[in-house]
Amino acid sequence: MSLQGTGESTMYSLRILTSQPLRLALTIGGISLCIVLMLLLLGIYRGVADGSVDYIRGNTVDLWVLRRNATNILRGTSILRSVHGQIIAQVQGVRSASAVLLQLSTVKKEGTAATVFLTGFDPLTGVGGPPELVAGRSVHNDSEIVLDKSFAAKYQFEIGDKVEIQDVAFDVVGLSTGTNAFVIQYAFVSLRRAQALAGFPGIVTCFLITCESPDTRSAIAQAIRDELPDLEAYDHETFLQNNIREMESGFLPLLYTIAVIGAVVLTAILSLILSINILERRKDFATMKALGSSGAFLRRLIFELGTLICAASSLAALGVFFPLTMLVEQVTPEISTKSSPEQILYVILVVGLISICSSFISIHRLRRIYPLEAFA
Amino acid sequence: MNRPMNGVPMVQLFDVTKLYGTNSHWSAGVRNVSLAARSGELVLLLGPSGSGKTTLLTLIAGLIQPTSGTVELFGENILGFTQTALQELRAQRIGFVFQTFHLIDSLTAAENVELALRFGGKTRSQASHRARELLDQLDIGSLSRKLPPTLSQGEKQRVAIARAFANNPDLIIADEPTASLESTQGFEIIRRLRDYARKFSRCVIVASHDARIITFADRIIQLKDGELTVTS
Repeated sequence: MSLQGTGESTMYSLRILTSQPLRLALTIGGISLCIVLMLLLLGIYRGVADGSVDYIRGNTVDLWVLRRNATNILRGTSILRSVHGQIIAQVQGVRSASAVLLQLSTVKKEGTAATVFLTGFDPLTGVGGPPELVAGRSVHNDSEIVLDKSFAAKYQFEIGDKVEIQDVAFDVVGLSTGTNAFVIQYAFVSLRRAQALAGFPGIVTCFLITCESPDTRSAIAQAIRDELPDLEAYDHETFLQNNIREMESGFLPLLYTIAVIGAVVLTAILSLILSINILERRKDFATMKALGSSGAFLRRLIFELGTLICAASSLAALGVFFPLTMLVEQVTPEISTKSSPEQILYVILVVGLISICSSFISIHRLRRIYPLEAFA
Repeated sequence: MNRPMNGVPMVQLFDVTKLYGTNSHWSAGVRNVSLAARSGELVLLLGPSGSGKTTLLTLIAGLIQPTSGTVELFGENILGFTQTALQELRAQRIGFVFQTFHLIDSLTAAENVELALRFGGKTRSQASHRARELLDQLDIGSLSRKLPPTLSQGEKQRVAIARAFANNPDLIIADEPTASLESTQGFEIIRRLRDYARKFSRCVIVASHDARIITFADRIIQLKDGELTVTS
């Protein structure tokens, strides 16, 4: 690309943009909102992706045992019996087998009712319980419950409140984090109480196995399969990945669709703005062509217009994004977002690509401007 | 290309015809025109509107190709030139003054001149220095930071002249440069163009329908309906 007029093209691009401040403000406003939307979607995705599996990630055990074909707990049904735990515990090399029961339940308080992913675990071992507490303590007896922090914030539940599940009263004794799966949040009670609420005292969803030596995990998993052919044993990492995959298969297509629509709309808006700028300054472009401007200079000018708009919009978007995220989390606590410098860089790179695409789309208008028009 | 010598033909047209139209209808912009313009002279293309003056100017500038005939600039046939070669030729060796000046409204007076200098290959500092020098010579140095919409017609005219002189071109092409000016301002622009041609042994070709400026011309070429009628 020729260096002809390097600097002049930037200066001229700036002048074109600043010559109409209102239009510039609207342009930057519109594009920065698209960027905020992309950042927000990515932040929500990260928040949901992590939040959905933080419960599993936080309960680091050697093996997870479920009904065969139930590869995950997010969208899989696994019904086991407590007696399976006794059989598993007898497999050589197993140190402990902790039962967990997961079921959808409705929590009520003074007319407020909301659904939770009720998790029954053994309070004595703590295995299968809340991965991290941000307030209060864990469950010690059958009449206590730990709620997810964002769930409690949304429905204004606090430590010390009394809530009801199927007319059984519970004291809220703690608030947990890493237990927000976006569409549903976890709540924790004792396994015995959870089983009683289900109406089947011996019912269990899965067993969390700790081995005497982690090196023997594979052999123990195989031994469990041999002993109980209807059950499947997954090592922790495999089970975590199964759940991540399950979550992504349900959530990512929606996210991608919205993101693609956003990118197409952004490209169309930017192309339109650049094309309007070219057509409005048709006389200037014709004059520059007549004066001997190189094609590279004019193309660079359009690229710089697109880049300047996108850079200003990205800065504006970053200025708005963080306060907006805090606002969203205050208004809808169950939507937890997670943003990292890498995510922001990724979005800015995408915006840069959109800027390049839009410039390419608009540049063809330059070809239809002839230097002869300067003589008109 | 070398710089032209005194009296050397800088523009030569041999039997040039330019037709416009489609397969079913053709009309002639210019027909069988042959002419020469030499260094040190101001050539006036005189003729009414639609006589083919602008077509002739754009042919000379290499902006359009003739249907037949040959156009030579500075001793070279430009019909075989690539678009890039023509663009460089215009940027470095041809200056333009347009009918309504066509200054770029978003750039200051100085930046308008600098832009032409940058197209001509000057560095930024060279362009800045030369632009300031030219605007001072034309007594509008104090207006260098003004945008064209805030300038009077006379001031715009001087900026346009400065831009045309910027690269010290061998040829200046001026299309109806007096059309939007009062007589005094019109005479001033023609006088400056003539002085440039004579002082620096350059060639200036002016297209106009304004008969008042014929006294400034070294040679007059009259056009009517695309054909050359009188050369004096």
